[in-house]
Amino acid sequence: MTSAIRTENVWKTYNQGTPRQVDAVRDITIEIEEGTIAALGGPSGSGKSTLLSLIGLLTRPSRGKVFLRTDEVSGFSEVFRTKIRRNTIGFIFQTQYLIPQLTATENVALPLLCTDISRSEAEAIARKRLISVDMEHRLDFTTAQLSGGELQRVSIARAMMNNPQILIADEPSSSIDETLTKELLNTLRTMVNEDGITVIVASHDPLVLEWADTRHLLHDGQLVKDG
Amino acid sequence: MGVRKHSNLASYALGNVLKYRTRSVAIILALFISTSILCSVEFIREGVVTDVSASVDEGPDIILQKLVGGRQAPIPDSWMGNVTNTAGVRTATPRVWGYSEVGSGILLTIMGVNATEYESMSGVVGTDVLETGRFLNETDYRKMIIGQGIVDIMATSAISQQIHVGSLLSLITFEGELIEFEIVGIFDSDSKIYSYDMILTDLKSAREVLGYDNSTFTDIAIWTNYGTDLNSVAFRLDTGIGEARVLTRDAISDLMLKAYTGRAGITALLWLVVLLAVILLAFTASSAGSEEARREVGLLKALGFDTVDVLEIRMLESITLSLLGVSLGISFAIIFDFIFGAPLLAGYILGWSLVLLPGGIPLTISVSTLFTVYAVGVIPILVAAVVPSWRNAITEPDVVLRGV
Repeated sequence: MTSAIRTENVWKTYNQGTPRQVDAVRDITIEIEEGTIAALGGPSGSGKSTLLSLIGLLTRPSRGKVFLRTDEVSGFSEVFRTKIRRNTIGFIFQTQYLIPQLTATENVALPLLCTDISRSEAEAIARKRLISVDMEHRLDFTTAQLSGGELQRVSIARAMMNNPQILIADEPSSSIDETLTKELLNTLRTMVNEDGITVIVASHDPLVLEWADTRHLLHDGQLVKDG
Repeated sequence: MGVRKHSNLASYALGNVLKYRTRSVAIILALFISTSILCSVEFIREGVVTDVSASVDEGPDIILQKLVGGRQAPIPDSWMGNVTNTAGVRTATPRVWGYSEVGSGILLTIMGVNATEYESMSGVVGTDVLETGRFLNETDYRKMIIGQGIVDIMATSAISQQIHVGSLLSLITFEGELIEFEIVGIFDSDSKIYSYDMILTDLKSAREVLGYDNSTFTDIAIWTNYGTDLNSVAFRLDTGIGEARVLTRDAISDLMLKAYTGRAGITALLWLVVLLAVILLAFTASSAGSEEARREVGLLKALGFDTVDVLEIRMLESITLSLLGVSLGISFAIIFDFIFGAPLLAGYILGWSLVLLPGGIPLTISVSTLFTVYAVGVIPILVAAVVPSWRNAITEPDVVLRGV
C-alpha cells in the first residue's frame, strides 16, 4: 500500500512568542494509507482539528513536515498549496461553513467557480452531487431552510465537487443523530470503495472511531495511540 | 485559467451584490446621496466659474466707484476728466446701474451706458453678442437691449407676452411710474449672470428709471492701454482721486469666485462627511469586523480560490456598488440642476440676493469633474472593501475560519 498522507514530527504552535502561546499539536508522526479511512480521536482540545488543518494544507506546521504521497507539501508556496487544495482535497468542516445567502446548489458549486468550468455547468454537477446524497428535494433551499442533517449532506456534496483524492472531515457527526451518522459513514465508505479516495475523520464519536480502518488517538496535542 | 473563470467570479460578485441586499442598498444609497449633493453643487460652481470668467472677459479692465462713509455714492460728472487724464487709461465711460421690474415682481438689472463709447470697446459689448437686433445708437432714448431671461419671463408670465425686437416694454421707475421702452436688440452672451436679466439702455433713460440726478453715475468703466500694467493704473487712480474705490478685473473676479465657491465649499465639505460615512460603512461591511465576510474569504481560500480570485470578487463587488451609486447620484444631480433648476441649492450658492430667473443658473458639466467624482466615489470604497479582504486572503485559511 502507498502512503497517502504522512506527517513527520509536526508541531503547530499558535501565538508563538506571546504569553498566549499554545502548542496545539506536538511532535506527531502518523501515516495514512491510500484508500483507507483513518479516524483521529480524542477529547475536545486534543489537537484533532489542528492536525486536520495541517494535513489539509489550511495551515503550515511550526516544525516538522507534511507529505502528500511523496511530496513534502508543508514547504510549498501558498499558490501551490491552494492549487493542491483545489484539485486534491475535499473538506467537510465541523460547522459546515456554508454561505447563508446561497442556495444548496450554489454552495455546492462553489469549489468549481475558481476553475475553468462554467457556472451553469458547475451548478449542473452540484445538482447531481446533491441528488447522490438524497437532497434532490432541497436543491434551491438556502441554508436557513435546511435541517442539521441536510446541511451536513450539502457539506459532503460540496466536498466531493472536485473529485478529491483526500477527504477531510472534522466532527462530521456532531450535528446529526445516530441514524444519519450511519448513513453518512456508509456514504463515505462507498466513496472509498468505489473511488479509492482516502478519508481522514476527526471525531470523538465512538461510532465513527469504531467504523474507521485505523485510529489515531490524541491527547493534549500528542499522539497517544496509533493504529 | 481562462475567460470562464473570470466570468464565474464576476457572476459570483454580482450575485453577492444582490444577495447582501441590506449592505448593497446602504452603500448605494449613501453614495447616491453624497454624489447628488456634490454634483449638484459642482455643476453650479463650475458654471459660475465659467460665467464669471466670461462676464469679466466681457467687462472693463477697471471699475471705479465712489465711496462716502464706506457706502457707494453717485459719481459726479467732474470725475471723468481726472479719470481719462490718468496715465494708462485708454477709454473711460460712465455707467448708471440699478434694478427695476416689468410688473412681474422679479427685479431686473438696468444698465445705462454711453452707446458710442461702450460699443467702441472691441470684444466688450457689440453686435457679436446680440442674438437679434442692433446695438444702441448715440441718439437712442428709451430704447433697450434685453437679456434672453426677460424674453423667457414675459413668455411665461400671467399675460404671456411674446416680446421681440420692436416690442414695447414698460419699466417701473423709482417713483412707481411706468416708462415705455422699445426693444432694439436681444443679448446672446456667453455669460448668463451678466446678461440673462440685463437691460441695457442709454444713460438718460436709466437715470429716469433709477432716480439718478443728471450728470451723476453709478460707476465708471475703464479700459487701459494695451501692455499697460493694470495694477499701476489702478494705483494711480486710487491715489489720484479721493473717495475712489478701484476694482480691477482680477479683484472683481476674485470677489465673485470667493463668494460663490466659498458656499460651494461648505456644501462640498458636507459631501465629504457623507462620503466618509460611506467608506466607513463599506469598511465595516467587508472588514475583519464583519465576521461573515471574513469567514467567506477563509472558506473560499480553503476551497481553492487564490488570493487574486478573492480580490477580484471583492473588487468587482465594490466597483459595481460604487459605480451604480455614483452614476445614480450624477444622474439625479443632472435632473435636479438642469431640469428643475436646482431649487434652494442655487439660491444658496449664488446668493439669495441675486435675481434668479428661470433658466438663469449657470451650469457646466466637465469631463474632469465627472472623472473626479467617479474617482473619489469609487477608489475609497474599493480600498475600504478590498484591503480587509486582502488581509484575510493572505492569512492562513485555518486562522480565518477558526479564528485561532
